[in-house]
Amino acid sequence: MDLNVWPAWPLHFGGLLHAGLALAVTAIVGEACRRADIPRVAGYASAGLLLGPAALGWFNAGALTTYRGIVDLCVALMLFELGIRLDARWFRANPGLLATALADIVLTLLVVFGALWASGVDSDLAYAVAAIAVGASPIALMRVAAEGRASGQVTDRMYALCALSLAASVILLNLAVGGLHGANRDWILAIAHPLYQLVGSALGGVLIAVAFGVIRKRLNPGSEQGTAAIVAVMLLAVTILTALRLPALLAPLFAGAIVKWRDPRPHLWPPQFGSIGGLLVIISLILAGSIMSLDLLAAGAGAAALAIAARAAAKLGAAAAFGPATGLDRRKSVALGLALMPLSVIALLQALDVRSLYPEFGERLLAVVGAMTLVLGILGPIATWRALRRCNELHGGDER
Amino acid sequence: MSLEAFAVSRALSIGVELELQLVGTHDYDLMPVAEDLLRATADADVEGDIKPEMTCSMIEISTGVCGGHASALQQLQALRDTLSTAARRLNIGICGGGTHPFQHWGERRIFDGPRFRHLSELYGYLAKQFTVFGQHVHVGCPSPDVALYLLHGLSRYIPHLIALSASSPFVQGSDTGFESARLNSVLAFPLSGRAPFVQSWADFEAYFRKMSGTGVVSSMKDFYWDIRPKPEYGTIEIRVMDTPLTIERAAAIAAYIQALARYLMIERPIQVAEDDYLVYTFNRFQACRFGYDGAYVHPDTHEHTTIGEEIIASLARIEQHAIELGADDALGRLRSDVTSGSNDARSLRESRASGTPLPELVMAQCARWMKEDPM
Repeated sequence: MDLNVWPAWPLHFGGLLHAGLALAVTAIVGEACRRADIPRVAGYASAGLLLGPAALGWFNAGALTTYRGIVDLCVALMLFELGIRLDARWFRANPGLLATALADIVLTLLVVFGALWASGVDSDLAYAVAAIAVGASPIALMRVAAEGRASGQVTDRMYALCALSLAASVILLNLAVGGLHGANRDWILAIAHPLYQLVGSALGGVLIAVAFGVIRKRLNPGSEQGTAAIVAVMLLAVTILTALRLPALLAPLFAGAIVKWRDPRPHLWPPQFGSIGGLLVIISLILAGSIMSLDLLAAGAGAAALAIAARAAAKLGAAAAFGPATGLDRRKSVALGLALMPLSVIALLQALDVRSLYPEFGERLLAVVGAMTLVLGILGPIATWRALRRCNELHGGDER
Repeated sequence: MSLEAFAVSRALSIGVELELQLVGTHDYDLMPVAEDLLRATADADVEGDIKPEMTCSMIEISTGVCGGHASALQQLQALRDTLSTAARRLNIGICGGGTHPFQHWGERRIFDGPRFRHLSELYGYLAKQFTVFGQHVHVGCPSPDVALYLLHGLSRYIPHLIALSASSPFVQGSDTGFESARLNSVLAFPLSGRAPFVQSWADFEAYFRKMSGTGVVSSMKDFYWDIRPKPEYGTIEIRVMDTPLTIERAAAIAAYIQALARYLMIERPIQVAEDDYLVYTFNRFQACRFGYDGAYVHPDTHEHTTIGEEIIASLARIEQHAIELGADDALGRLRSDVTSGSNDARSLRESRASGTPLPELVMAQCARWMKEDPM
């Protein structure tokens, strides 16, 4: 009888080995960055790149598709928290802030589109890249802020501008997809699809907010059960939204903002869901690295470099021009622009979602956006870190 | 370094200073936004002053020289309205209260200025732990000798003022059991407590010369006494009060001090003596710990009563002076608060006992200070 008592040689490991090693490598790179005065999240992004097909090849492009749910959950949790930080009353008291956000969105869209288009990129692609470039990475911003325990005016505005620009980015890209449908002469779809996404996300947001309200009445969101319940709501929301083919981006963001608007009380849980959130971010960044193949990056490098420069100029320009009217001094206004540099996982998800509908176009978009997030996922958080420190908004700079 | 000459001031004029908390509206923890708020209010056309304080999450407002309760209240209202408008633009909250109930002192940052840097270097963590918020009231004195009489005469009313203003039951997330826990932080400083018993300005100058000769102090600012003379203004400054939760209460307490000062200055009802201070720290502790219910040992008769009863008795003694000063309404409200046993510390504690989380407590404090209609 041949019982499986003795190990086979060579040893056969399950898939968890790579996962475990990957987590360890990422954690170590993050810690090394910390010691070099670089925010950990930049280290996680570098590690993701290292583990992906561009270097070690432990993960390939399939990994992100397989584990998309984990990334979606991570993004939904972060966006919900970002939404709760977005107090719409602030815009009523300080309308200049909305003007800053609008300038940030419009300038970034126009400057990035203009730069790419002038350099010979076709207008569809230039517009789609510009739409994605409008956003900023809430994951990077919030991790940097948590790591440095940031608080102050630049930090608060950074959150507000990130939320608004991201919402705008999602809507603008929706329109781009509508435009692609239109190019295929499918006019009804060109209007109905973006509309469905928008209305669906809004309704989804309302439902999530209602669910949170029910939990909030019965459980303290700061308690273990409260946090678990919120994670559960987001998990359900992500699952349902995905089944409805709605991106899990606008709905949680919108839900958070509704919650804060309806109930201005502080809604507090461990920042970014404590260690669960931290782990999800690490996994998301490893998975983000898994789609960065050298071929892909090489294809998008030129346009990406141009888009990065244009985006940086637009975001810095908007913040520097409009910041002072909202009560920031010049130095803090520039810092605010710098703080918004990161672009990361969400930008990749946006490009991937386009690719799932229009593979050829999506592949070209992913090449440019991938190369952009490669740079801005690593250098962006460093810019945020430095900018916040320059404004004296970091507390000592280490996690508790 | 010698002591500056005692300036001329209008007798019994008052000035009110309030140290205020600056908090974020997401978590209601202290937030380092003093610089932004000062910039936002730099051009405001209001009487009085808005100044930075020791850490970046506090700010101090002060009235100009006021004749009495009405003008002090009016100036405080204008300052509050200016600050509240600026605060809404910055999406921050401003509130009273002697301590922030759950801030962690290790996270505080020292405001960038030479004096604050010096204090931070000298006192180390004490400087950050000194993130407490007080009300200071100046009373104008016609001469320095009168100032010293008033200083010692008012010392027996320190427990009254502590109990009336107490608004710091919570520190670092815990209920301290005290009504004014703030004063415990002040006591950690080496030159805190009471002023030495000297009755003439010449003697006070001699004391100051000796102290500065030791190298321990270089100016009056280095003394953290409960009441201290402020020669450059020609005033004495009473510093034991917590910042009340509303400017209305702050103005009423200032009016009470003014009426007490008028009573002491005009009637000269007591002979001040070193022995007045035998019971001083006992009474002071009782006031901090128990408020109106604290035991009060009379400095002359050594009779035991409660601080609440003593406040009521003092209000009766100074009634005529309060009427003369136009402060009888304000003092009437203080009297009914004492009778019903209510002060800011107790209302905070009651709200906490009914299950309000500390961040929401701070949110309610902001709404009260900024006079906001709950949305």
